[in-house]
Amino acid sequence: MSKRPFLIPFLVPAILVAVIFLAALAEILQYSLREFIPGSLDVGGFTLDNFARIYRPVYFKAVINTFVLSLATAFFTLILSYPIAFALVRTKVEWVRTLLILLSITPLFTGEIVRTYAWMLVLGTNGFLNTMLLDIGVISEPVTFMYTRAGVVIALVQFAMPVMIIILATAISHINTDYEKAAANLGARPWTVITRVVIPLTMPGIISGFIVIFAWTMSAFATPQLIGGGKVLMISNAIYLQGFSALNFPFAATLSVIALISAFASLALMKLIANRLERQTAIH
Amino acid sequence: MWRQTLFWVIVSCILFYMTIPAIVVVMTSFNPGEILSFPPNGFSLRWYEKALTYPDFRGAFRTGLIVALISSTLALVIGTSFAFLVVRYVFPGKNLLEGILSSPLIIPHFTTGFGFLLLGAHLNLNQTLTIIIMTHVVLVLPFVARAVYVSLLNIDPNFERSAANLGASPFMVLSRITVPLIIPGMAGGWLVASILSLTEFSASLYVTASRTQTLPVAMYNYIREYTDPTVAAVSALLIIATMLILMAANHFLGLRKILAIDSH
Amino acid sequence: MNTNNSGHSVDIVEVTKTFANVTAVHKVSLNIRKGEFMTLLGPSGCGKTTLLNMVAGFETQTSGAIRIDGKDISDVPPFMRETGMVFQSYALFPHMNVFDNIAFGLRMRKLPAKEIKAEVERALDMMKLSGMEGRRVRQLSGGQQQRIALARAIVIRPKVLLLDEPLSALDKNLRLQMQVELKELHQKTGLTTIFVTHDQGEALSLSDRVVVMSRGEVQQVSAPIELYTQPANGFVASFIGEINALPKARCQKSGQDFRFEVCPEISLNGRQPARLELKDGQMVHIFIRPEHIEIAGPRHNGANIVKGNVAAHIYQGTHTQTRVNVPGIGLVELRTKGAAAIDQAPLGSEIALSVPLDEAVILPA
Repeated sequence: MSKRPFLIPFLVPAILVAVIFLAALAEILQYSLREFIPGSLDVGGFTLDNFARIYRPVYFKAVINTFVLSLATAFFTLILSYPIAFALVRTKVEWVRTLLILLSITPLFTGEIVRTYAWMLVLGTNGFLNTMLLDIGVISEPVTFMYTRAGVVIALVQFAMPVMIIILATAISHINTDYEKAAANLGARPWTVITRVVIPLTMPGIISGFIVIFAWTMSAFATPQLIGGGKVLMISNAIYLQGFSALNFPFAATLSVIALISAFASLALMKLIANRLERQTAIH
Repeated sequence: MWRQTLFWVIVSCILFYMTIPAIVVVMTSFNPGEILSFPPNGFSLRWYEKALTYPDFRGAFRTGLIVALISSTLALVIGTSFAFLVVRYVFPGKNLLEGILSSPLIIPHFTTGFGFLLLGAHLNLNQTLTIIIMTHVVLVLPFVARAVYVSLLNIDPNFERSAANLGASPFMVLSRITVPLIIPGMAGGWLVASILSLTEFSASLYVTASRTQTLPVAMYNYIREYTDPTVAAVSALLIIATMLILMAANHFLGLRKILAIDSH
Repeated sequence: MNTNNSGHSVDIVEVTKTFANVTAVHKVSLNIRKGEFMTLLGPSGCGKTTLLNMVAGFETQTSGAIRIDGKDISDVPPFMRETGMVFQSYALFPHMNVFDNIAFGLRMRKLPAKEIKAEVERALDMMKLSGMEGRRVRQLSGGQQQRIALARAIVIRPKVLLLDEPLSALDKNLRLQMQVELKELHQKTGLTTIFVTHDQGEALSLSDRVVVMSRGEVQQVSAPIELYTQPANGFVASFIGEINALPKARCQKSGQDFRFEVCPEISLNGRQPARLELKDGQMVHIFIRPEHIEIAGPRHNGANIVKGNVAAHIYQGTHTQTRVNVPGIGLVELRTKGAAAIDQAPLGSEIALSVPLDEAVILPA
């Protein structure tokens, strides 16, 4: 009898899915090399013209924009998620822990549209935030959050926090509490324990959380689309614009290829920086 | 101690930031007026009535439910068997296959959606349920595989060895020992997959047409055309449903265990 | 480092700790004298670690007080308690090297860099670890990690040294060697030390006094020898070393002679126990250690001889543990040198045992 009796029956479906997925990606690559025939959904012969077009400032700007927004989102997500993850892991009160888990995880499962719509209600000119600030008297006229980068980041950070919290909480839960006790026993105040012991020990989690959120934000679509309202253009929005407004599928495909390349390139770059960072903290 | 108080004040503020959108949605959904106002100037269920009777939403909900159930079940079967292979077997191309199947986590959903749109056109399946389900299987597969993978790793291989030693055939070992032990992981993975499929938007926008649209796509189209709070009512229902499902999952499966968060 | 003249006393006064509805520590009172090596001994879950954590400030007692040099420290946070703790896991910071680990407490005290360097070097020298400063803690052996954890705790000149099962992660040979080193360190520094362990061997060999705990309560506080020879109750008697517990016996007193009727067929002669005034007819528990029972030979006269069948021999190298089934008493264990007993008394054969009560422990029932 075979030593691996389930190999073939278990392998075939997985391979099938992989092949279908690769075929879909290959379609994009194929389209990106085709000539666009205006006014028609059919495409022409092979060409590299599409790739030449992306040097136009508007697309170049979309790429930079995507990069900057993703960096900012990952940074703020990290800052806001850490205290929640810490509280979640270290609280001894069961109901607090359950509440923290439910409140911080629910947004993950409500979907991009529900969350983006909710933020439109909060950030709109007559939205919740402006009404509140006007009522309190902090501002005298509505602040524009919609159609700004700040507004997009505010929404994206909340969108990204559940995943970051899960990653950080896992990292924190893997530190033996003896390290914190030992530091306190040697005279470290609570804040010092956090900065000198807890944060360095969770550095791998911090780095991987940052990278995951960065990659995730690069693929955000609904939030920049609706809250950015065309004024904050990320690659995703540029592709949609080309595909569905201009019906220029070949160029949309080219932008998708660029999106893929820049996603993988920036991930590789961040991994590189992360490795260097980890080595430095290791030598310390 | 004041430090503790300060810490919990900060935590509460951040939680407020995380939950304020949901609170505002619920508040808005009960607002009687067409124009959003804070605080609400009354209480009305008219937007719920409209949401529940609006044909687009009803159709989209049905489509989305069918897509979610089929694709998460397919993903469960494929993901479980693949996770089993990854944990128990060595075979050529294992890493490559693992990389391809988990890459939808990194590849933007809109790219995947766009790819399937083009593939669908090629295969004359464009904007059919088949291509939508294919897309969703690809997108949720990594989540199911991951959940099952973790629970397989937590099984002591000696359970399987001792069953085999007692004379159980490989199939008996699998069905009597392995599968029963990973049922919680499979259930958790399936649940996560179906919720993600139900709420998936970016890829679905590309692969659906108006007759096959799923709920998030229908909501998106509504938001672009109208400003009344019907979508708030739908959103409020979805948020509450999600919370209830998660509370149930927490009760029966333990979210902390599913998410692998536990203090030492 | 030498704190011989500056030892500190620790008083634990009626301390109780309740978690939810479980009482982990119940009304424990202890006076630990300046420079004393005090061991908290007991099975897991007896409350010894909780008590240690309360001294360190990681747990707060539900009631009672903890004092150092007479001053109540209940409200002092852990980072100001001036206790030096060695953890079971050592808790050496994995992201710092040896030097930074030992220097951590000194840096928290904002000592000048020069002084820190000198102090760390002295500590390393004392623990025979000179030259290890730059090593990463993960590269070190268990014994080295143990010494670094000790160095890190004593370099801050704590008022009390707290040791939480520090030897349990080491293998047997290393454990014995570290026991010797711990004892030397204690003599050199004169630090008041509280040592938590579940290993009676460690407790007996290291301590000035031992506190035996069970289910959150103190069973006995004594010097090691007294603990072994004069256990205060049945728990201590059977927890420390091995001991045979005979069935409840009735004391028959006539003048200076005592007889203990274990069962209708068996009565044993004995003497007045050291700290117990026995009355005629009183019921007692008799405990007797395996090494005090012998296989009866010609030199034993007729008194205190019981007969039974050999049920098992457990050969242990230096000695053999023999189990004899004695009708009316049950299984009795005795310990004899070498392996002679295995040939002398084959399995199943009937043998006579001499059971003198001179060194037996007799407690009121």
